[in-house]
Amino acid sequence: MLRSLSNAVAVQLFRRLPWLGALWARRHRFVESTTVPWARVTKPVRESAIALVTTAGVHLDSDAPFDMNDPEGDASMRAIPSDVDPRRLTITHKYYDHSAADRDINVVLPVGRLRELVADGHVGGIAPRMYSFMGHIDGRHLATLIEETAPAVARRLRADGAEAVFLTPA
Amino acid sequence: MGLIQRAIEAEGIPTIGITLQKEVTRRVKPPRALSLRYPFGQPMGEAFAGRQQRAILVLALSALETLSEPGAIVEPGWVWRRHRFD
Repeated sequence: MLRSLSNAVAVQLFRRLPWLGALWARRHRFVESTTVPWARVTKPVRESAIALVTTAGVHLDSDAPFDMNDPEGDASMRAIPSDVDPRRLTITHKYYDHSAADRDINVVLPVGRLRELVADGHVGGIAPRMYSFMGHIDGRHLATLIEETAPAVARRLRADGAEAVFLTPA
Repeated sequence: MGLIQRAIEAEGIPTIGITLQKEVTRRVKPPRALSLRYPFGQPMGEAFAGRQQRAILVLALSALETLSEPGAIVEPGWVWRRHRFD
């Protein structure tokens, strides 16, 4: 109870005081890299199938929610059909304020905007599935993410025919 | 999110992601990023702000096509709730 209350306070502080996030970022340890992977863009976006990936904890209301009880988070992934009715989407993520995204899912997963760009001819198409994570992943779950879930999603995106991917955080 | 982005790029699929924490992005080094000084939880802007959300997506996809330097971070400098998306 006390822990969930202090988490709720922290969520609001981080939302309202952006410098707190920068301070946290300076002190937190990340999986840092020296090299950058690079895949060359070989096709214009207007001819490409784009996929969406988010770490905002979005999932189908019929799917199991992400684990909110493990303080190290949840490294699992949820697939969402790209033709989903947005009313069937929900968010399980207690580490950010998702009140705006609860009202309009496009705040974290811009599937409506992507559909418009396809309809207007600016984007070639939408890959059949979107993939979602709960971005709070730490401790032992980081290895699961790096070694298992993230490469598995990358392979699924390739199998889906995704030609470029747009990602959104929480 | 950068770790997932790196894994997708390593599979051979070009990626671009929004970042609300440029300092973290500088360290994790995803291939391409669009940095916005927006509140956590609102990487695409405000609810029902279609023009804003569309502008962010269009800029990101255009940057995807044009960026040629691995690790580049694009910063449009749009001020939260001040910039007008017409």
